Amino acid sequence: MLDETKPGMECAEFEALLTDAIDNNNANADAGQLSPARRQSFDAHRRDCAVCGPLFADVQAGQQWLRSLEAVEPPPHLLHNILVATSGVLSTRLPATRRDGRTTPFAERLRERWDSFFTPVAAFVRQPRFAMSFGMIFFSFSLALNVAGVKPKDVAKLDLRPSALRHAYNDAQIKVVQYYDNIRFVYEIESKLRELKRANTPAEPGPAPQKENPKNNTSGQPEQRQDRNYSQEYNQPVLAALRGGVGNASPAVTATTNRRFV
Amino acid sequence: MEEAQVVGLLVRRAVGGDAAAWEEIVQRHHRRIYNVCYRFAGDSDNAQDLTQEVFIKMYRTLSSYDSSKGAFMTWVTTITRNLLVDHFRKSKGDRITDSLDSVPSEHEDAQPLSEQIADRGIAPDAAVQSRETREMVHFALQKLSPELREAVILRDLQDMDYREIATALRVPEGTVKSRINRGRAELARLLQRTYKQVI
Ligand SMILES: [Zn+2]
Repeated sequence: MLDETKPGMECAEFEALLTDAIDNNNANADAGQLSPARRQSFDAHRRDCAVCGPLFADVQAGQQWLRSLEAVEPPPHLLHNILVATSGVLSTRLPATRRDGRTTPFAERLRERWDSFFTPVAAFVRQPRFAMSFGMIFFSFSLALNVAGVKPKDVAKLDLRPSALRHAYNDAQIKVVQYYDNIRFVYEIESKLRELKRANTPAEPGPAPQKENPKNNTSGQPEQRQDRNYSQEYNQPVLAALRGGVGNASPAVTATTNRRFV
Repeated sequence: MEEAQVVGLLVRRAVGGDAAAWEEIVQRHHRRIYNVCYRFAGDSDNAQDLTQEVFIKMYRTLSSYDSSKGAFMTWVTTITRNLLVDHFRKSKGDRITDSLDSVPSEHEDAQPLSEQIADRGIAPDAAVQSRETREMVHFALQKLSPELREAVILRDLQDMDYREIATALRVPEGTVKSRINRGRAELARLLQRTYKQVI
């Protein structure tokens, strides 16, 4: 590109060496194919080229951002749920295999007691619970409009262009976020109930002796998916309603309730 | 015994119906798969569902694993990746207005990241390691196209080598590298632009 007149390295070559050079910088285990001479002309190009210099800086910064993300710990019940959904065999050593010691025996007993208390009522609770989450979302949505100063009788006069609506909506968003922080526990209870539901779904029929497609083609037919219907019912109408209502504005509801960070 | 031999033995035992061997396989891999799914899908509920689906798929196809064709981890990653593709297609259908293919920062309506940062009042000089910053990076990662996102997740979060990634994604190594470069650069630009807007 800008560098074609220069004798050293060209942009395409620079780009091809970029990952190796950055691995080199980090002294990665599988790095190091870059000879000192090539490294030198790579660095020269980086300094001189108006395109590749900034590109290198971005790629390096992006890598550093990414590496700041730490591994997250899966919820303790996940292992249990996987075994229930596959072999159906829950080994007796399961509590002992939590080698990290995060779950104390006492906490484990408590959890079991909690589970056994809720299992019989889980089916019953599911329906009202469902209605409640919808109620919450619509309530908070009208709350958002209220905070933004939108009265029901004004709705007819509202400017319904997405950008105008978004403006009003964003003003209210901060308060909604705070509100949602307070009711986050509602969602935690919900996810507890989801776990219970998962734990109660029947196990897989058994180890499959049939040989599948030898190419490991795993993205084949849609299968019986555990909990799928529930998830869909839970997510779809809400998103549809909100997105339909406020154009492209990112709804605070989804942002604050579905995201669980590190 | 070497790791590959241990895994090969575990797989054979599990295929033969040994529940303890299967449990050991789940135990060894669920954390890693959950992390890949969590970073790709963005939230814990989806990541749990996806991880479970990966193991259901593994359980059904375990007998088709051929250790002579590659490492078990690559095989597992291939399964995971294919389910992520399914998940992405499905969720894209669910959320028509929320196209993840477009770079949202170029889009007129795309401000949530900067709004988030503004709301939280994060100073750009704040410790890179802070929890809020990591949340922003995680959030920005969701804005990358799925091809770039999976490439940087496997490389920078899972430390897989280029050949393994190429096998799992079924693309040439050169393509893997170029996606990693683009993914990293796009993420950095997204975060930098956001920070500039906040100042
Ligand atoms: Zn250049």
